[in-house]
Amino acid sequence: MNLRQKLLLMFSITVVGLVVAVAWIVSVRVRHVFEGMDQQQTAALVSQFQREFSQRANDAASALDRMAASDAVKQIAFEIGNGGDASSYLQSALPLAQEYRLDYLELVAHDGSIISSFQWTARFGYREPAITGASRAAFLKQEDLPDGTSQIGIFAVRTVPGSDPPLYVVGGRQIDADFLKDFPTPAGTQVFLYRNLTGSFDARNFGAAAKDPGGVHFQSVVDEARNTGKNATGIVYLTKKRADSVDATAIPLKGLDGSVLAVLVVANSRRGMVEVQGHIRDVAFGVAGLGIIFAVLVSLWIAVRVSRPIEELARAAGEVAAGDWETRVEIHSRDEVGALARSFNNMTRQLSEQRDRLVQTERVAAWRELARRLAHELKNPLFPLQITVENMVRARSLPASEFDEVFIESAATLQMEIANLKTIIGRFSDFSKMPKPQAIEMDAREAVRRVVKLYGPALEEKHIQLGTSIASEPLPILGDSELLHRALSNLVLNAMDAMPTGGTLTISVARAGVVARIAIADTGEGMTPEERERLFTPYYTTRQHGTGLGLAIVQSVITDHNGTIAVESADGGGTRFLIGLPLIEAKVEA
Amino acid sequence: MVRRFVISAVLLGLALGAQARTRPHYGGTLRIETQGDPWQMPDGLARRFVLDTLTTANDTGVAQPALAVSWSSQNADHRWEFTLRPGVHFQDGAPLTGESVVTALNDVCSHGATANPPLACPWRTVRAVGDAVIFVSDTSLPDLPALLAQESFAIARQDASGAVIGTGAFRVTGFTNGALVLAANDDCWAGRPFVDSLEIHSHRTARDQWLDLSVGKADIVEVPPEMIRQAQQQHLSLLVSRPVDLLALTIAPNGPFAGREMRQAVALAVDRAALSNVIYQKQGEVTASLLPQALSGYAFLFSTERNLDRARALRGGASPSGLVLSTEDTTATMRLAAERLALNLREAGFTVQVAPPGSRQPAGFTLRRVHLEAASPAAALDEMLAQFGQNSTVTATDPARLWQTERSVLDNETIVPLLWLPRAWAAGERVRDLRLSPDGAPLAADASLEGAK
Repeated sequence: MNLRQKLLLMFSITVVGLVVAVAWIVSVRVRHVFEGMDQQQTAALVSQFQREFSQRANDAASALDRMAASDAVKQIAFEIGNGGDASSYLQSALPLAQEYRLDYLELVAHDGSIISSFQWTARFGYREPAITGASRAAFLKQEDLPDGTSQIGIFAVRTVPGSDPPLYVVGGRQIDADFLKDFPTPAGTQVFLYRNLTGSFDARNFGAAAKDPGGVHFQSVVDEARNTGKNATGIVYLTKKRADSVDATAIPLKGLDGSVLAVLVVANSRRGMVEVQGHIRDVAFGVAGLGIIFAVLVSLWIAVRVSRPIEELARAAGEVAAGDWETRVEIHSRDEVGALARSFNNMTRQLSEQRDRLVQTERVAAWRELARRLAHELKNPLFPLQITVENMVRARSLPASEFDEVFIESAATLQMEIANLKTIIGRFSDFSKMPKPQAIEMDAREAVRRVVKLYGPALEEKHIQLGTSIASEPLPILGDSELLHRALSNLVLNAMDAMPTGGTLTISVARAGVVARIAIADTGEGMTPEERERLFTPYYTTRQHGTGLGLAIVQSVITDHNGTIAVESADGGGTRFLIGLPLIEAKVEA
Repeated sequence: MVRRFVISAVLLGLALGAQARTRPHYGGTLRIETQGDPWQMPDGLARRFVLDTLTTANDTGVAQPALAVSWSSQNADHRWEFTLRPGVHFQDGAPLTGESVVTALNDVCSHGATANPPLACPWRTVRAVGDAVIFVSDTSLPDLPALLAQESFAIARQDASGAVIGTGAFRVTGFTNGALVLAANDDCWAGRPFVDSLEIHSHRTARDQWLDLSVGKADIVEVPPEMIRQAQQQHLSLLVSRPVDLLALTIAPNGPFAGREMRQAVALAVDRAALSNVIYQKQGEVTASLLPQALSGYAFLFSTERNLDRARALRGGASPSGLVLSTEDTTATMRLAAERLALNLREAGFTVQVAPPGSRQPAGFTLRRVHLEAASPAAALDEMLAQFGQNSTVTATDPARLWQTERSVLDNETIVPLLWLPRAWAAGERVRDLRLSPDGAPLAADASLEGAK
């Protein structure tokens, strides 16, 4: 990942993170505010329902008060009080209940026996325990009905004024779908009633607008209200969709003994709130999305603007590293990046100048070294030549016979030294004219065997023990056998020179991955780090009569074969040259 | 002398005038309203007015001549010969013959097996010999003349259009304004009825009938037993029969009630007094017998006492569920009685639900109201056993044998008699000389209308 991508990613992550964080905070805050408002609305609705419920109870009690004070009921009380046959009034509750719009009505004698029952006519003669609540406020009561079911009703008990013995009227209104239907239910609000029947809450319910789908959604709040006897609230999900959730408040409806007879559930739909929240969220997310896109584009522009000079610097640095020291970068700004560009340009300029100076210096040094080596090499033969010529000049004064003898010896010496000079000049000429290798497929082991075979006797003469290790499998390489032989010979000769008093020379060749590894190690005095550093420099030698070209030639040959050469040595610990030549199959595989 | 003559003349005129006012007048239309179906088998009102039986029963249940003028038995009441009244014609003019009677009776018997309640003809064969009709049976039938007085054995034939034709005082003329219209049969063997026609409005509720009577839209209306007291308080002209309807609870002897003890527990749990005193407004006769006390004389031997403790003990902790009590008719009073019985049974530990109207749910308990037509003890017991689907045949007439027969049936506890109820009719002010038959049906042929021409 390049700098521009990193910058773009960093800017994008930062912006997206900020936008998402802002959107999340706004969303949470909006949700919190709306839910607070929704809960307040639900609480207001619940309060309204409770007031309406109390009003209905008062209505039922008022109807019973009016009935008890009516002439018809007083007449019944009078006749029964004066020995009238109570059975005559079996059906009396029916018209009274219809007139006063009551769902439940019983005329009860002073001993608690039912004279007439509207809701269950056949119950005459049975006891009605509710008369103990005479004159009290309306209360909830579970009423058994002929069909085996039970219903919840708001009841009141009144004593007929002036009746002696007292005649009671027990009446009320049923809490059912019709009862709930008349409640002022706002749109989106539903009211359900769960009744406590035979010890367990009936899953059926009465809904003002709709049935509770499944009848179990409100079970948790209903159970809580039933167990605690207090209002229970909660968010109820009717489906998996959040829009189909409601703020549910379960209101326990208690009987005279405090037991929970029913639970009224006021369910305020959260659909409107959820839809508004969703709309706000959509808008926020839309704006955030556009903001993110815009921010990414801006980030891209900034990243390009910031990274471009640095990329140019990097490219220029790469070119410098590749050797193009003349590379310069364009300066676009006056900021830190511009200063860096200027510094880079200064640096490359200085490097270029220093390189030129170094090249010049190296060149002078090389010429000096060459001159020194030439002077040294040429001085050695010149001194015998000079002595020989001076001897020949002095020999002119000698007799002719002696002169001839001196002349012949001197001439021989002159020829020998001149030949020596030619040799020296030939070596320099050879180095300058190193031929290109004529590569053919050959076995690296053959090159090693050839050297071992050639220098085996010489090594034995110098009391140098030879150790070889040659791989058993072929090591095919592309090489010039003559040049490789020359290079290996140079290394063997150097090793022999390093062990004038004898030692051990170890030559090995083996496969090392994709190369044929040739190692030539001696047990000589070794080299200092400085010597190792300059080892392959032309004309550098540590020997008195060396030309300094041997190892330079070796390096040249190995390099021409796309190989590598390295040296390992420690002062007083021997020296080992390691040559790596690429195997043919490795080339093919590559 | 003149003075005495004048006084005598005035007295004679007053007497003649009074006689003229009390003498029945011919003409007019008698409007009758009823809750039931006038053609309902076996005792629909219209059937009674259109059809005749071979015999009729008087108030004591003794057979009287009707279409048959005489009868005799041979071979220890195994063979009966009834001689038909001569000169009797059906309302379409066809003469009443022995063959027509045999055809009618065979039709009754062939349809009797599928009728509700089932009707079993006790004779083996019936045939006509000239003007005589011969009944032959495998068992002794001492009460056959009284049995043939029942409306179930009315003589009817169908004309080409399928209309039912009889020999009665009225003949069907059609439907007008929702009412079945019957016209007087001028050639009736028993004499022409006083009214020219009858209008029978059926399926009218008791309150509607009462309202129509009060505003003069009806002349004769049905008064349910529970409203007799109220009618009396309102000084209506009432005709109340003797107890002719038995309210009884039948228990299917299967499932949890296969054992007699459980059925006995149910019988002991019912509160007959509450039914009689409150629901039927003291118009019912509490009973545990299949016959009214006045008819059998031994009904008091069957205990009507409620014993809840004994009922609970017999139940023995069993709590059968899904018990259903149904009623044969859907009147509000019957349903109320059923609900009361269900309450009684709940007290004894049986959770019973009253089947809603129209329910086809199989019921273990059925509250039935069974009509008794026969007026003699033996024929009445025979009729009741047949009504309750019992196979027993009453062959004796002495009370002790009858009691034993009835007891052997009731000991199974599958029938729990509750109340005997009367039938009652209220008549308008212009109706004169209305009487009821021994089984509580109005005898319209004897009634006349005041103010008719």
